[in-house]
Amino acid sequence: MPEALNGEEYDATQLPDYLRLYYKRLFPHKQFYRWLSYNLSEDGIFTHREFSFTMQDDIYIRYLSFENQSEMEKEICAKIPHKIDIGAVFNIRPKNHRSNPNIKPMQRELVFDIDLTDYDNVRTCCNEANICNKCWKFMAVACKVIDIALRDDFGFEHILWVFSGRRGVHCWVCDKTARHLDTKGRGAIADYLQLSMSGGENSVSKVTLFDKQHHSIRRARSIIEPLFNEIIIDDQNAFGSATGTERLLKMVPDENCRKELQNLFSTTIADSKSIWSTFVGYFESMRVKSQLKPKLRHIIEEVQLAMLYPRLDINVSKGTNHLLKAPFCVHPKTGKICVPFNPNLATKFDPTTVPKVNLLLNEIDTFDQKNTDATETPEDKASRVKDFKKTSMFKSTVIFEEFIRKLEQSTKAQAITVSDKRMEF
Amino acid sequence: MDFPKRSKIKPLKTPDEESIDRFAPHNCMFYIVPPQNDVSLKDFEELAIERLKLLRILEQAGLKYPKILSDEWKEHIINELNLEGLKYFVRLIKGNGNTDQDKQSRRRDYLSHFILRFAYCRSEELRRWFMAREMELFRFKFSALSSSEIKDFIEIYEMGYRPINDEQKNEIRQELQNMVTGSVDNVDFYKVNFLSVLDLVRQRKCFLKGGYAYVSSMDFSSIIGGHHQKFIEKGLMSHLKLLPEFENDERIVGIIKGLHTSYVGKDYTVNKEADIPIESLNQLSLKSYPLCMRMCHDSLRTTHHLKHGGRIQYGLFLKGIGVTLEDSLRFWREEFTKNIEPDKFDKTYAYGIRYNYGKEGSRTNWSPYSCMKVINTAPNPQDIHGCPFKLWDTIELRSKLTTYGLNAMAVQDVVSYASKGHFQLACGRYFEAVHETKLDEGITHPNAYFEYSQIIMGNRLAKEKSTPTSQQSNFNNRKQVQMNKQQEFKRKMDARIKEEHDFDEELWKLSQHEEELLTQWKARQDATQTEISQIASMDWNDDNENVEDMSQIANYL
Ligand code: SF4
Ligand SMILES: [Zn+2]
Repeated sequence: MPEALNGEEYDATQLPDYLRLYYKRLFPHKQFYRWLSYNLSEDGIFTHREFSFTMQDDIYIRYLSFENQSEMEKEICAKIPHKIDIGAVFNIRPKNHRSNPNIKPMQRELVFDIDLTDYDNVRTCCNEANICNKCWKFMAVACKVIDIALRDDFGFEHILWVFSGRRGVHCWVCDKTARHLDTKGRGAIADYLQLSMSGGENSVSKVTLFDKQHHSIRRARSIIEPLFNEIIIDDQNAFGSATGTERLLKMVPDENCRKELQNLFSTTIADSKSIWSTFVGYFESMRVKSQLKPKLRHIIEEVQLAMLYPRLDINVSKGTNHLLKAPFCVHPKTGKICVPFNPNLATKFDPTTVPKVNLLLNEIDTFDQKNTDATETPEDKASRVKDFKKTSMFKSTVIFEEFIRKLEQSTKAQAITVSDKRMEF
Repeated sequence: MDFPKRSKIKPLKTPDEESIDRFAPHNCMFYIVPPQNDVSLKDFEELAIERLKLLRILEQAGLKYPKILSDEWKEHIINELNLEGLKYFVRLIKGNGNTDQDKQSRRRDYLSHFILRFAYCRSEELRRWFMAREMELFRFKFSALSSSEIKDFIEIYEMGYRPINDEQKNEIRQELQNMVTGSVDNVDFYKVNFLSVLDLVRQRKCFLKGGYAYVSSMDFSSIIGGHHQKFIEKGLMSHLKLLPEFENDERIVGIIKGLHTSYVGKDYTVNKEADIPIESLNQLSLKSYPLCMRMCHDSLRTTHHLKHGGRIQYGLFLKGIGVTLEDSLRFWREEFTKNIEPDKFDKTYAYGIRYNYGKEGSRTNWSPYSCMKVINTAPNPQDIHGCPFKLWDTIELRSKLTTYGLNAMAVQDVVSYASKGHFQLACGRYFEAVHETKLDEGITHPNAYFEYSQIIMGNRLAKEKSTPTSQQSNFNNRKQVQMNKQQEFKRKMDARIKEEHDFDEELWKLSQHEEELLTQWKARQDATQTEISQIASMDWNDDNENVEDMSQIANYL
């Protein structure tokens, strides 16, 4: 291994060198193919899939497609893309798109994109591209709420959650029904999962709840409410500043109450805990005195949801033709690998210790050095396929393989059962 | 004498009970199998116009009360239907029934739907409008059905949905309770794939579990509506394919071609009631003219000229409000000759004015343009005519209205209607602001605008024949009016629909010296022509099973 690549710090200028080795030795080509070929359960499902490569200097090549695993692997290793995106499966091979103007998407995983920048008005620990363990909790909550809705409500089973390499997460829903959704269906699911936050005064997001709450909302509340103190009060100290209390007040849709609260706040110690308990206490006492206006009946829950309910970029989910970064790409700025993670253990996931490409390469190196007594034989070469097992990428790869294994079971089953007899009228 | 090329008029055979039961088995019905019976041309036309009225009422209701199925929306529609004498539609939107009257009503509903498909399959825009109205009608009808009527409906159409049983109900009782007012026990719930109720999913209006949606029978309309929509969409495309065959028959073309933009309200062709001296026009234009006419008038006064389209639009309007031909000629000449020689006026322009009054060319007494017609014209940028609410951008509109002395709130209302494409509502709001009064009627005709204004100002008494009846624009005599209108209506309609269509053609011939306009019009014609042929040459893939049935339609004409 070249000396320059041995450093502890990730150096973005070295990316092409890192990538060349990474694609050759670590990228899970085989699993990648197993996933996207779906057991070849449908015609053209792999060969008609669009890939796109982002090359050095942001040169973007769309409409790539491959015949099989080895062609894909060869191309990736030859072109060494800085980023790989996955698009839709088309009616023709995307690489032939020029000679066929009637190209149209036939299927596509249902995807979700959640990004921490959408939380910038509620997180105080970091901003913009930065991320720490405190703000990851927003992602963990989002992941929990969305994952359970997709599984319990829609009956989806094959869901892959991937860290996006910097400050967000991607979710790939791969069930057959999900892949074959049209734009309307995707839109409906996205809207179902999204809480419309009417831009209250001055673009403070405001959620409105009614007495009858849909079960998905009640379930989300049961996830969010126990975490509210920890995340919003303790970690973020969200009401500890003047802007924070102001934002809280703006969520109250009643002029009078806002004034009274303002007065109360001015005599309250300016930390989140005190402010929040004053806030809660104020409405509680009104409730006891039955003076609470109907529109304020759910104000506490509304604030909690407004701050913690998942904020989806639903345009990504609505289209069938949206390209999304593939798992196991290297984020060019951070060097972090876009690793899959287990949604049930999302809170345990640590975005700050996600393996970086340079360290992974070191790890292989060290591992190989430890085993120097073995002489270089053909068997050793074969074992390189399993190089990732020598590294901290191991865990994510296991998660990915587990996902694929279940997926393959279901696609096999699909192949033998007669297609659902839905009432065609 | 002008005989139609193919004589297919046959005496009307009422579809017998059996076939009504088969094709229109429920007051809330799908339109699946096209009629197999003969329908006379007279009935064809009558049914077409009745349904057109119904659909327009739905459209107006939606503009007035955007919340579909709200009480106000429903009430408005029922009132309007009663006024228009369309009681049988009122019957159909009040649940199911099986009396003879129900069956007769269903028959009219069923036939008229298929007839209008011919008029509305022609372009994407027409299809969209038609679909939207038909879906509103269906939702209205379906919303009136009781749980058991819905069950019947599902059985009749063999849709295979079954309500869940009590045991299943109990398992998810609490979740279901969340979706209905009243007890869960009184409501049927259906378990369906979530894909068939996306609208409910989107709004979180159904309980979802494992990919299945649990839907109350009230909300079931979403599913059924989905089927309905598909039938009509496919049906329209099949009709489009059949269209060329019908275009051989001029009489049918005459009925269906101009239908969408035809005006089915009061007739303003000649005004026998009033005699408006041209000296009063300046004064009148300030308050009693709608903006489209005020623009023409102002421009004529300041530039002493008006282009062709403007001359027709404004000239006919003047005729409609009661300016005599002699006065009209005087009026136009006075203005035009400020720029050109009187001789040139007589040679070039006087003809057109006499023509408007039916004194030249085909000698038809042309009708003043309705709003639809004004709104749908596509003037050049330098033209003055057309509907300002459609043509002006927000800034222009705002500043004009402010100059006219409208207060900020009124300006805002008008501008926001206009920007959403509700030109006639904008116009109505403008009327209210100018007259400082409420207007119960919608504006559908520039001449009606004028008339309402005159009545409110006390210059014109509301007579039985004219729509408005009191100084306060409290038009409650409408019933009487409507009955008179009904009688007159049929007689006039024959001429009318054809007339609107011929009118353009004659006029364009007349205006041959205005070359550019002609070429432009031709280009537009060509464009529509290609559009139609493009659609006609589309791939009909899964639609073939319908086509055979559809060809049967040919037999009933
Ligand atoms: S809505 Fe009708 S009356 Fe009003 S300006 Fe437009 S065309 Fe004229
Ligand atoms: Zn942070």
